[in-house]
Amino acid sequence: MKMVLLLILASGLSGCASFGNVQPWEKGTLARSEMTFNDGHLFSRYDDHIYTSREASSGGAGVGGGGCGCN
Amino acid sequence: MTSCDNNQQPNQQALAASILAAALLLPGLQVHAETPPANGVISLGYLDYRDSQSGLDRIRVHAPSISVMAPIAGVWSVSGSVVVDDVSGASPRYHTAISGASHMDDNRKAGDASLTRYFDRGTLTVGGAYSTEHDYVSRALSLQGSVESESHNTTWTAGIGHADDRIDPVNHVVTNERKRSTNFLLGVTQVLTTNDIGQLTLTHDEGEGYFSDPYKTFDNRPRSRSESTLLARWNHHIASTGATSRLSYRYYHDSFGVRGHTLGGEYVQPLSQGWSVAPELRLYTQSAASFYYDPIYDARLGAPFPPGYNGSGYMSADQRLSGFGAVTLGLKVSKQLDKLWSVDVKASAYQQRGSWRLFHEGSPGLEALRAQTIQIAVNRQW
Repeated sequence: MKMVLLLILASGLSGCASFGNVQPWEKGTLARSEMTFNDGHLFSRYDDHIYTSREASSGGAGVGGGGCGCN
Repeated sequence: MTSCDNNQQPNQQALAASILAAALLLPGLQVHAETPPANGVISLGYLDYRDSQSGLDRIRVHAPSISVMAPIAGVWSVSGSVVVDDVSGASPRYHTAISGASHMDDNRKAGDASLTRYFDRGTLTVGGAYSTEHDYVSRALSLQGSVESESHNTTWTAGIGHADDRIDPVNHVVTNERKRSTNFLLGVTQVLTTNDIGQLTLTHDEGEGYFSDPYKTFDNRPRSRSESTLLARWNHHIASTGATSRLSYRYYHDSFGVRGHTLGGEYVQPLSQGWSVAPELRLYTQSAASFYYDPIYDARLGAPFPPGYNGSGYMSADQRLSGFGAVTLGLKVSKQLDKLWSVDVKASAYQQRGSWRLFHEGSPGLEALRAQTIQIAVNRQW
C-alpha cells in the first residue's frame, strides 16, 4: 500500500499530471516497449525459473506456470 | 486526484505533433498489452548459468530456447515457446556441511502455448504448459481475461490456472507421487500520467500433494501449501533523458511460514544508433519456513543432524527454506540492428547470504551461494 501512495504522490509531483485521465493522443510515451509490463520476454522467463529454483518465494505476475523438479 | 491548472484540451499544433510522434513509433510497439499485435516476432535465446559455494563450482546450466508470437487476422494472437535445460555438476548441497561430491546430470524439456482473442475493450487468453524431466512431469492449464475502462486507462485482469505434477524419484523413496495446485490472479493496471503507468496484482495458490524433496535426508514437509503474493509495479519515463525507470515490489506469504520481500529496479537508457543499456538491481529477503532447522554437527554421527530428531514431524534443512537475503546486479545491453532484427545480452551476478536477511532468524551455518548468469536473445520481427 505504501507503493500505491508513492505512485500517487509521484504522479502528483510530476507537473501537470491529469492523474489517470490521459487522452489517446497523449500515449506516445506509454507505447514504448520499456513502459509495458513485458512478462513474456525470454529473459523474464529465464530469471523467473532461476529465482524459483533458488528461493522460496515464487510467482506474482501470472497463472498456469508449470512446476519442475528444481524446487 | 491531482488538479491541473493548464487547459486539458491540447491545441491543434500539439495534437498534430502527438499524432506524428505516435505514427513514428517503431513497428510492433503497443500502447497496451491489450492491443492486438501488429507484428509477429521470433526469438532465439540462450542461458548460461553457473553457481558456486565455498569457492567450489557446483551447478552449471545451458538452456537454449525458442519463442514465437504471431498475430492472426487482426484479432487473435498465438504464442509458444520451447526450452531445454541441460543441468550438470555436483549435486546441490542443501546444507554447507553436506558433501557435494556426487555428480548429477539432468535434462529438462519444457514448452508452453497460448491463444489470445482481442476485443474492443478486453482480451481472453487460454494457455497450456508442459515440462518433463527423468523424475518429474508437470502439466498446466490457464485462462486469463482482461477488461479495459472506456478511456482505456484502467485494465482489470482476472485469471485461473491449474497444474498437475507427477514425481517419481530415481531413489524410489516414493513412487508415483503427485502434486496438484490451483492458482488465482486479480490485477489492475492504471495509466497514471503521460509518463507513468502502475500495476497491482494479487495471486493465490492452493497446492496439495508431495512437497518434500526426495533427495534430502530428514526432509518431511506438509502435504498442502497455500501461497499468496502482492506485486506492485511502476514504470516511469524521464522525458529529459529519454530513460525509463522500472520499479517493482513483491510480498510473498505461504503456509510453510515463509515471508518474502523482493524489490526490483531497472533503468533503461536508450542511446544513439539503436543501442540501449539497462542496469538492474534486485534485493530479496525471506524468513525461514516454520519447520526449517539449522542442523547440529556431531563429532561421532557426522553432519548435519537435526537437533532433537525423533523421526516424526515436519522438518527440512533445505537452504532454500532458510532465512537469508540476496542481491542481484545485472546489466542488459540491446541493439536494434535494423527495422526487423534486434539482439539483447544480459549478464547478472547473484549472491545469497544468511546474514543479509532483513527480518526474522538467519542460518549462521550456511555458506554464501554465488551465481553468474549470461543470457542472449536474437529477435526477428515480421
